[in-house]
Amino acid sequence: MAKSNRYLMAVSILIVILLVASIVLFQYKAYLLLSFLLIGCIMLPMFARFEMKEIGGREIVMLAMLAAIAAVGRVPFAGLPSVQPTTFVIIMVGLVFGAESGFLVGAVAAIVSNIFLGQGPWTPWQMYAWGMVGMTAGLLRNTWWMSKLWGKCVFGFVWGYLFGWFMNMWIIVGNLESFSWEFFTGIYVASIYFDLAHGLSNVFFLLVFGVSWMRILERFKKKYGLFDFQRA
Amino acid sequence: MSNGLERMHPFVLFLYYVAVGVLAMYFNHPLFLGVGCIVLILVNLTHDNGKALKKWIPMLSVMCAVIILVNPFINSRGTHIFFYFRGKQVTLEATLYGAVLSMSLVLILLMFISFNLILNGNKFLFVFSRFLPRTAFLTMLAIRFVPLLNRRLDEIADVQRVKGLSIKTGTIRQRAKSGMVILQVLLTWSLEEAIETSDSMKARGYGIGKRSPYIPYRLARQEVGWLVTLAVLLLICLVGGLLGYGKIIIYPQLGTLQLYPIDWIVFISMLVIMAFPLLIEGRELLKWNYSLWKTSHSNSRTRT
Repeated sequence: MAKSNRYLMAVSILIVILLVASIVLFQYKAYLLLSFLLIGCIMLPMFARFEMKEIGGREIVMLAMLAAIAAVGRVPFAGLPSVQPTTFVIIMVGLVFGAESGFLVGAVAAIVSNIFLGQGPWTPWQMYAWGMVGMTAGLLRNTWWMSKLWGKCVFGFVWGYLFGWFMNMWIIVGNLESFSWEFFTGIYVASIYFDLAHGLSNVFFLLVFGVSWMRILERFKKKYGLFDFQRA
Repeated sequence: MSNGLERMHPFVLFLYYVAVGVLAMYFNHPLFLGVGCIVLILVNLTHDNGKALKKWIPMLSVMCAVIILVNPFINSRGTHIFFYFRGKQVTLEATLYGAVLSMSLVLILLMFISFNLILNGNKFLFVFSRFLPRTAFLTMLAIRFVPLLNRRLDEIADVQRVKGLSIKTGTIRQRAKSGMVILQVLLTWSLEEAIETSDSMKARGYGIGKRSPYIPYRLARQEVGWLVTLAVLLLICLVGGLLGYGKIIIYPQLGTLQLYPIDWIVFISMLVIMAFPLLIEGRELLKWNYSLWKTSHSNSRTRT
């Protein structure tokens, strides 16, 4: 715990230094560059933790398979705009396997799907957004309302919007020097329907398939003793 | 497709793309960005005669047009006023900013088009396996599973279609539902397989020592030379940019576009970095032509 605390301290100090340096040294403001550095700083400790953890081959292959399923999930739904089960799969992983696995599957699913759909400046933002979907699902999985079906549905619906709002940010950060509130609201108004479709499809998947997917994943976890390091 | 650039060590290529990406977001002088875009287009042409580039041209041009046309109208900062539109001023600064921004974005996207061709899959992961070995391994596995899962999806969809469930017909609700049934079959099938894969990995000794790369890339002396050159040039560009070279002041009032001697040094450093693939390819081309000329020359001489 002390080790991870030191890591967090170092990263938060580094972020403050980066922010101050960007104001003092770069009067010409390289915001997009700065945003990538910040996202990198925030995600690095989570990957580092995964690197240092005692973990077996089974868990790694399982996480890779889940990330691949989340990425491939976009294929059978290519005909339906903004409807994709990737977010749903990531929420399921977070709920069953915990926050760290949820984050990893989310971030890796973003890289993998973009290898086939095209990498771009949006990749780090997607990695972060989907990583956070998995991580929050894992962190909240023991709250009383997350064990209820309606709680999960609210969670999925809210993330439909949060995801869209976060991804809008990369357009705004890339264009920050000409920032105006009209521009800001314009972008957010334009995305309302897409976010709604995303949120509603999350709710739909959670309602219809949430229970059976949870049961399948729980079964696998129990059958093969995945992520069960106290007993092993 | 195998050209001189692709045979370079992944580290050199990675540094090149990082440098181009950073500089594209770093400078905002129109000349720097414009020349950068032209060089990157040439780089893309050397890869595959612009086949990948062609697919992106509509998107790139629409994006540029939207940014350049829309920015002056939603943003009224600046002092050089062209005209008034519905009571809002349309300024030179906002127009120029739109142009600079779109060039910067085009440059980044051009870089990614080249990146997707040259530093794909294995090589990219080779770079990351040095820093984050386990994450890179996880990503590599996931990438390998994607074609496998696609094949399985087709297989499952065929079976489901025979049973009357298709994602191509019916209401959105029905289609989404049958799509998800397919995905659920895929889940159980593939997770079971994943356990088998990991057990077979374990049986073959996964986790005993450090993972060795599938293709062992070694840094040749010439490649170390390129690494150092690119790093030094990038440093010149970054320090120059820190002092304000290669950048212009747009808001609140447009500064001068004039280039000072040090601007030219920074500019040439940037040009050499961005043209690195062209230098490599050009050298290969010269070698090839020269050796052809020499052999044909010597052949004709032996014949006579």
